[in-house]
Amino acid sequence: MSAGHDDSGFVARRFVLAEFATPEGLVNGTRKVREAGYKDLDSHSPMPLHGMEEALGLGRPKIPLIVLCGAIAGMCIAYSMIYFCNVIDFPINVANRPMHAPAANIPITFELAILLAAGSSFFGFFTLAKLPTPYHPVFESEDFARAAVDAYFLSIELPPEADPEKAFAAAQAAGALSAELVTESER
Amino acid sequence: MAAPNLSRDPLEPLPLLEGTHTDKTINDSLLAHVWRGAGKGWWALFGCALSALGLLVIAICWTLYKGIGVWGNNIPVGWAFGIINFVWWIGIGHAGTLISAILLLFQQKWRTSINRFSEAMTLFAVICALLFPLLHTGRPWFAAYWLMPYPSVQRIWPQFKSPLTWDVFAVSTYFTVSLLFWFLGLVPDLAALRDSSKSKTKRMIYGIFALGWRGSGRHWAEYKWAYLLLAGLATPLVLSVHTIVSFDFAVSVIPGWHTTIFPPYFVAGAVFSGFAMVVTWMLPARQFLGLKHVITMKHLENMAKVMLVTGMMVTYGYAMEHFIAWYSGSPYEFSEFFRVRQHGPMAPIYWLMIFCNCVVPQIFWSKRARTNVLVLWFASILINVGMWCERFTIILTSLHRDFLPSSWKNYSPTWVDFSLFIGTIGLFSTLFLLFLKFVPAVAVTEIKELRHELAHDPTAEPVGETH
Repeated sequence: MSAGHDDSGFVARRFVLAEFATPEGLVNGTRKVREAGYKDLDSHSPMPLHGMEEALGLGRPKIPLIVLCGAIAGMCIAYSMIYFCNVIDFPINVANRPMHAPAANIPITFELAILLAAGSSFFGFFTLAKLPTPYHPVFESEDFARAAVDAYFLSIELPPEADPEKAFAAAQAAGALSAELVTESER
Repeated sequence: MAAPNLSRDPLEPLPLLEGTHTDKTINDSLLAHVWRGAGKGWWALFGCALSALGLLVIAICWTLYKGIGVWGNNIPVGWAFGIINFVWWIGIGHAGTLISAILLLFQQKWRTSINRFSEAMTLFAVICALLFPLLHTGRPWFAAYWLMPYPSVQRIWPQFKSPLTWDVFAVSTYFTVSLLFWFLGLVPDLAALRDSSKSKTKRMIYGIFALGWRGSGRHWAEYKWAYLLLAGLATPLVLSVHTIVSFDFAVSVIPGWHTTIFPPYFVAGAVFSGFAMVVTWMLPARQFLGLKHVITMKHLENMAKVMLVTGMMVTYGYAMEHFIAWYSGSPYEFSEFFRVRQHGPMAPIYWLMIFCNCVVPQIFWSKRARTNVLVLWFASILINVGMWCERFTIILTSLHRDFLPSSWKNYSPTWVDFSLFIGTIGLFSTLFLLFLKFVPAVAVTEIKELRHELAHDPTAEPVGETH
């Protein structure tokens, strides 16, 4: 039924999943495999690893900027909301006190800035990470269940024509304990 | 896990992790209580908690059916149990944020073992707190109309210059941010639960909540920042929340309320009572869930020290209030602090407050008391009682004796007031017991990280083979 696959345009993604013994081994191994010319790399570990961003060749994290934008948006929304309500839409003159009282606006402006900044941190992270993703080809591996427990994996996404044997060799050379090929299943 | 090291030098610091561990043993020992069936003790506690929750449901139904006239508060005591319990519960929540956010920013490694636990307490405490102002509106289903700025046909907006409106924003922000922070920290642990589960149903359920987390290095790179920034945001937030709660009182002109020391003194009191509540729950949980190897004596000792420090801050707050009442020369302030509170009809509550909040924590000067589980537990309960008495004293004594003797009136709570209070303790306990049953009580991922950090730190105590 391979013709059917072609018709649907489905091309199974292939990954080489290599296991390393230690976190340090994974960081060093990742660096070596990347230097060997593989670009679509990802590590899988039960905790964040020191130096992994650099080993994967990632740029600056995007979250801080997103959070800053969230905070500024929250501030502007809160302040303009209060200003609109108290000065433009329904001014109430009480003993000639000022309609626009900046000091009294500080708490709500602050709270809304925090709320939107926190929201952008949380939702920004899940958007950047493309989570929730219930299915990923690496879950095809039986061993991968240990990745959230105590195992350290490197996944190498193979280009369509690439030879998995070469990736195996690169992983072995980088110090992997074992390596296997996982293929995306069509669902 | 391992037997305590008896040959340890008494001057050496106590360890943060006891015994020799690998990632696997940490994972298994911290998740064990989730996989184990609920024991008799859990069911017994859960039964008590559910009964109290039942009382809450009855009290809420009665309040909604009859109106808030069934509460004991009436002019001049317009605020009573409702606001006492609100402030008390919000304060309890503050310890969770302090432990999870502020101690994270200060890089206090000992926070790791207790942060998940106390964050959950924050969430549940804020839920309990939110019930009171909502019920006090009398018709909670209209509350959103009164509290939130939405364009209505009446064209009128909430009073943005009132601390009560600030409170709405502060507390709802606090709840939302605490929830996001808690869940973000929980996602990797849910993945660990998913991958350690033996049955397919459990794998499915935890898998849904784990959102397909695969420990990706690309994710961790952003995750670390997202988590750190949430901590950074929660830190000023938690200070602002109790500050704004204290503004509810401080901006009024009532003797005993109208004082500038309220914001810092409320925040210190909040942390004080929150730590006490964490200790009250942590000691039994650590015993029954088998968490002694990650929540060690060092943690208990540190918590006792925080209670001692914040207890003394609270004591300083009391001393300053009294000093200013005398120094200001205001006869109303003076009478409030030196006659009504100390000798009036509610004096026993005042003296109980002084005993529980100022005297009891002094026991923690002694290392033997700090490391004695029973002493810690009883002291923490007394501190909880003391902090409730503090809110009672501040709110009630000031209201029932203000400027004019013609507006003096005594207050007595009704059965509905007591039922609501006990009921929220039931709600809190129910939620907390469910949390202990279904979610790891300790942040597994962070403990694994801590183990690796300690293993690489040459000055730290040995924690087993380096992975």
